[in-house]
Amino acid sequence: MIGSVSKPKRVVEATGVVKDYGDGATAFRALKGVDFHADEGEFVILSGPSGSGKTTLISILGCVLSATAGHVRVLDDVITAAPESDLPKLRLAYIGFIFQGHNLIASMSAQENVAIMLALRGWNSIDAKKEAARLLSLVELSDKIESLPADLSGGQRQRVSIARCIAGNPPIVLADEPTASLDAQTGQLVTEVLHNIAKKRGHTVITVTHDNRIYHFADRIVHIEDGLIIDEKKDSHP
Amino acid sequence: MSTDTAPLDGALASSETHITPTKAYAPSGIRWRMMVTIAWRMMFHNKLKMAGTLIGVVFAVVLSNQQAGTFLGLIKKNTMFVDYSGADLWIVSPSTLTLQATKPMGISALYTARSTKGVAWAEPLLYGGASIQLPAGGTEPIQFVGTAAPRYAGGPWNVVAGSKSALERPNTMIFEDSERERLGGLNVGSIREVNGFKVNVGGITWGLLPFGPSFAFAEYELARRMLKIDSDQTHFVLIGLEPGANPEAVKKAIMERAPEVKVVGREEFRSMIVSFLLRRTPIGITFGTSTVFALIVGFVIVSLSMFSAVVDNIREFGTLKAIGATNGDLAKIVITQSITFALMGSLIGLAAITRIAAAIRSPKLGVLLPTQMLVGTTFIMIGMCVAASALALLRLRKVEPGMVFR
Ligand SMILES: Nc1ncnc2c1ncn2[C@@H]1O[C@H](COP(=O)(O)OP(=O)(O)OP(=O)(O)O)[C@@H](O)[C@H]1O
Ligand SMILES: [Mg+2]
Repeated sequence: MIGSVSKPKRVVEATGVVKDYGDGATAFRALKGVDFHADEGEFVILSGPSGSGKTTLISILGCVLSATAGHVRVLDDVITAAPESDLPKLRLAYIGFIFQGHNLIASMSAQENVAIMLALRGWNSIDAKKEAARLLSLVELSDKIESLPADLSGGQRQRVSIARCIAGNPPIVLADEPTASLDAQTGQLVTEVLHNIAKKRGHTVITVTHDNRIYHFADRIVHIEDGLIIDEKKDSHP
Repeated sequence: MSTDTAPLDGALASSETHITPTKAYAPSGIRWRMMVTIAWRMMFHNKLKMAGTLIGVVFAVVLSNQQAGTFLGLIKKNTMFVDYSGADLWIVSPSTLTLQATKPMGISALYTARSTKGVAWAEPLLYGGASIQLPAGGTEPIQFVGTAAPRYAGGPWNVVAGSKSALERPNTMIFEDSERERLGGLNVGSIREVNGFKVNVGGITWGLLPFGPSFAFAEYELARRMLKIDSDQTHFVLIGLEPGANPEAVKKAIMERAPEVKVVGREEFRSMIVSFLLRRTPIGITFGTSTVFALIVGFVIVSLSMFSAVVDNIREFGTLKAIGATNGDLAKIVITQSITFALMGSLIGLAAITRIAAAIRSPKLGVLLPTQMLVGTTFIMIGMCVAASALALLRLRKVEPGMVFR
């Protein structure tokens, strides 16, 4: 997919990102000047101790949080320059999310949960349902498209949310501890799906995790501590 | 996962590997459709909560309609005599505020009216309190009406036993069915004593029960003797106009010739009675307060349950926001829910109140539910439910999409 000679396309580029929570005397600096980047088809793991700023960083990359200072570019858009009201549109254009709790709409079927994402991206409801069914079959849930989230196992729910996050092909997939509430084996498989999303579909996947058993999937592991990136290493593939 | 092959392995065509971000943004039609679907799914997902909210709306609909309907019923009781009298104009004494026993006025107004151009007929009417002797002892009050033969303007209507013409017979009266028991179980042919006069029961009406003692009718001359009114006096004069006559012009003409009396049109008299009820009696305040109270309680229930529905589903709202829904989209969900609650609650509530009203309708208690009121209630409910979701909307604005990561 990505030639070894040609330089891969830079999808995310962040420099000097600072984030303060609160202001005045109670202000807390969660990110202290972070430089980060990710390329097309890359699978990046973001690791670090609790409270180090991992969620804060992917929230900024995902356009759900504005940075206090610094520069973030996603493809052709400088999101740090965008007004708050443009952020929902930027999220729709660029980002697919996977959350620790699957965060599916409890009252809607697996298919509808995926179709919502497509409808938000402008698909009509018939096409959205068809595409949702197809995406669910990619994560091997063809027989569960009518099921409500409550009737699915943890791994199945997480696969629904993976189908949702790639619906409409956003260039970037952000996952915050997607395996934290899953058992080890299911966590491995869900990570494998994320890896395939990057390698077979070309999404840029950035995953926050504490789980060192899945580190071997990563192209790069970015270690963050106390609001600063302290280490970056390439991991070799299994 | 039950298979050994990793999902997505080989499942993707290479055409999908080129990802170009689409800045496609759903147009408002698609967004509305989607948000309406989500709204209904969320509503019906928690049936208990939905039932609770519906009860609030149903309560407001039933209670406010019942109160307002009873009030309209009372107004009807007080104005039905004017409605059924057949008179286009009434001559009343100048101090008259409503239809009630008054000091008599000179009968000359009757002759003035009869000789005024545009007047087809004019008849005197006696209207006063009387008491009927009960066979078992004691007395009961009646609303006594003296109506002149042969036209019987302001005479009995809805005569269900005997006939109006029975009043031509000497010492004969017509009484009201709904008070028969109270008046000592009288029937056609019974003999009773009214104001010390022995009278025969010549007929029975149905439903002529004002807000007070029931109507009882006698021919004018008999009534005059029984109420001890001089022959040169009367309480009211009823006037029928010739076809095409201008009521205002006739009114003016009579008042010029008889400045000591007041002439009022039928509608005018009606609104005098209604305004007397509203201003001089506690009825208006009592029913007004309870109608408003019903609406307020309904508002509070709906408001709280809409708010708590948002709080309950806050994570889902946050998720929607994170994946690209705007505040406006979330507002569509809440507005859809509130309008749905209003329509469902109104439908159930109106079905209930019309049944209740039909079941309890009697000459004693009439709950009137005019169509305009039922339709109006539905609109009030929609307004109320949308306003009640304001708290929920305020809470939604504060939903941070970032919350879904925590
Ligand atoms: N909304 C907020 N208001 C104030 N402080 C916050 C807020 N969100 C996060 N923080 C603080 O910022 C720091 C970084 O938080 P963040 O959630 O990014 O950490 P994390 O690396 O994701 O931790 P964990 O592994 O526990 O999820 C923490 O000290 C946290 O307490
Ligand atoms: Mg975190």
